Amino acid sequence: MNIFSKRKEQLDRFKAYLHKDQDNQSIKRSVPEIIEVCPSCHGATTKDTLEKNMYVCNTCQHHFTLSADQRIAYLLDKNSFKEIDAHAKSANKDNFTMYQSKLDQAISKTGHNEAFVGGIGKINKHRVCFGVLDSNFIMGSMGYVVGDKITRLIETATKRKCPLILVIASGGARMQEGILSLMQMVKTSAALAQFDKVGGLYISILTKPTTGGVSASFAMLGDIILAEPKAMIGFAGKRVIEKTINETLPEEFQKAEFVLEKGFLDKIVTRQELRKTLSDLLDLHQHRRR
Amino acid sequence: MIKKVLIANRGEIAVRILRTCKEMNIETVAIYSTADRMSLHVQLADQSVCVGPPSSIDSYLNMNNIIEAALSTGCDAIHPGFGFLSENAAFASLVVECGLIFIGPKADIIEKMGNKIKAKEMMREANVPIIPGSLGVVKTQQEAMSIAKEIGFPLIIKASAGGGGRGMRVAKSIDEVVPAYISAKTEAKAAFGNDDVYIEKMFENTKHIEVQIMADQHGNVLHLYERDCSFQRRHQKMIEETPCHTLSNSIRDNIVQDAVLAATYVGYDNVGTIEFLLDQQDNHYFMEMNTRIQVEHPVSEMISGIDLIKCQIIAASKRPLPFKQDDIIISGHAIECRINAEDIKNNFSPSPGKVEFVHFPAGRNVRIESAVYNGAMISPYYDSMIVKVIVVAKTRLEAIKKMRRALEEMIVDGIKTNVEFHYFVLHHKEFIDGHYTTQFADQFIKELLSQNEYIQ
Repeated sequence: MNIFSKRKEQLDRFKAYLHKDQDNQSIKRSVPEIIEVCPSCHGATTKDTLEKNMYVCNTCQHHFTLSADQRIAYLLDKNSFKEIDAHAKSANKDNFTMYQSKLDQAISKTGHNEAFVGGIGKINKHRVCFGVLDSNFIMGSMGYVVGDKITRLIETATKRKCPLILVIASGGARMQEGILSLMQMVKTSAALAQFDKVGGLYISILTKPTTGGVSASFAMLGDIILAEPKAMIGFAGKRVIEKTINETLPEEFQKAEFVLEKGFLDKIVTRQELRKTLSDLLDLHQHRRR
Repeated sequence: MIKKVLIANRGEIAVRILRTCKEMNIETVAIYSTADRMSLHVQLADQSVCVGPPSSIDSYLNMNNIIEAALSTGCDAIHPGFGFLSENAAFASLVVECGLIFIGPKADIIEKMGNKIKAKEMMREANVPIIPGSLGVVKTQQEAMSIAKEIGFPLIIKASAGGGGRGMRVAKSIDEVVPAYISAKTEAKAAFGNDDVYIEKMFENTKHIEVQIMADQHGNVLHLYERDCSFQRRHQKMIEETPCHTLSNSIRDNIVQDAVLAATYVGYDNVGTIEFLLDQQDNHYFMEMNTRIQVEHPVSEMISGIDLIKCQIIAASKRPLPFKQDDIIISGHAIECRINAEDIKNNFSPSPGKVEFVHFPAGRNVRIESAVYNGAMISPYYDSMIVKVIVVAKTRLEAIKKMRRALEEMIVDGIKTNVEFHYFVLHHKEFIDGHYTTQFADQFIKELLSQNEYIQ
């Protein structure tokens, strides 16, 4: 043992004796909430700094998970967002174990009734139908209410001939709802087909994670598909595939950069540039309106 | 002014002296026994001379060889340090006779003060309070008995040539007087070749307070306040501090004034110390004068900023001290712990050997005086003190805490030391309280030994 450690051990014994009558055990404290640790580089940053930087790590550019409200705040013009169908709530019709309590928890955690928040707002004065999936709400999974809300937003966009922008963060179809949730893939895709027929512009923004039934439906149907750096985009999970095909997959598998290289994305846009990029795209596609 | 000094000592004090010499642009010559060839003082000195085999009698106490070494290397002075020849009047006069400067007081003062009976007599003449007891040597058992009846019990019988606790006997009642008298005489004869003894009243629960004196050959006698050296094991000081925590200012003034009076009366002309015994009523009594630099001198230096070795050299050079009493301003509280190579569990027996690894504490206001380095050999031939840790802080409690911290950092690997012992003392209520007396150490040791498992 290192001689200094040996000495410390010895001193600890002395101190145990010298302070045997005192209860001066130090109380373990957790790091105060003003500190956030980057899950990627493990560097510590204050919440303030992160907020100023749109929750992107200063050191490694890791994009932290955002809530629906944060997305709205970062992308839309101030106070321009009017939510649609905010009251819609899922019911546990099949009495799936624990589902109700998960829903209740998610509602109190996020302050929204479902994983999808949609409505009408403005990006740099362009009116848009805007929707965002919140991964804090049962991993942004798509149940029948999410599917319905998305469909209704697409229909609103179709009716109003208004560009549609969806920010995706979802683990896929909501397992607790079984076949009903899978149905939403069809429903949303069909609504998008109608939207396409009237010449609507749909921009989808894929963030971490975009997987399962969501990636296999409306997420990948954007006229323009953007993604955040290093966002995980795929269908089945990496480990599932590795087990099935009995092969090791490349390190960058299902990363936005890899998906871009394979031709499934149009552009990777950092969070700081996203609003500007959307605004430019909307400028370029103005003629589609009416 | 002195240009080249032979340091007739070894270990940390030799290093301490040569450091000041270097700072004063004085060349240094170290002496060493064959056992000390690799010692730090030899390595740091400008020159070094071997003066004999390991046994002190043949080397560090070998006056002829030492003086020859000084003369042959062209030294103009000898610093004796402490212990060894430092209070040997014959050596001091021999040095002077050989045309060298003895860095210390005049030989006749060493002589007078070295004889405890003579010293006590002079103090009585000077009107400095002395411990009640015999006036001079007690020649017969009958005389011992009559003095005992006069001063009361307990009493202590001491060898006039004694020191370090040898030739001392305590009598607690009238029946013990004669046996104690006889055995003290026998031991004194064996230890010092002189069986003169004297009797003093013994005080219990006393403090050992000493006053640092600085004097020169121009009649200046200054004091550097007191030190509390009450933490002693078998009359060996282990912890010293300054100022004394329990003294009121008026009593402090009385004590230091008496010390100056004593030093002035004997015509003292260098750095020295007057030791007093302080009873429970804060009465002080002269015990003895140390006519040399002392182990614990750094605590006084730390609160005053004065270099006492430098004062010694200045005074020995016949120059006046460069300051007056009013220039001396003390601030803060200093503590010294003497770290010895000894085995606490084994009745504090010396623990010589190779220092495999040493790490000294450092940081603000922590001072180390030592000649130990990684790989140094601690020789069984000499004193077991290897390191002095000195700290200074604003208040006594802060100094205690600083010392604890310093001892925590300290590592001496390869030999056993009393670092832990000190660490425990510094946590004891009675020590922290500051009212501890010379009896405290023994009581503390008993207490500590019952906690055997914690001592290394």
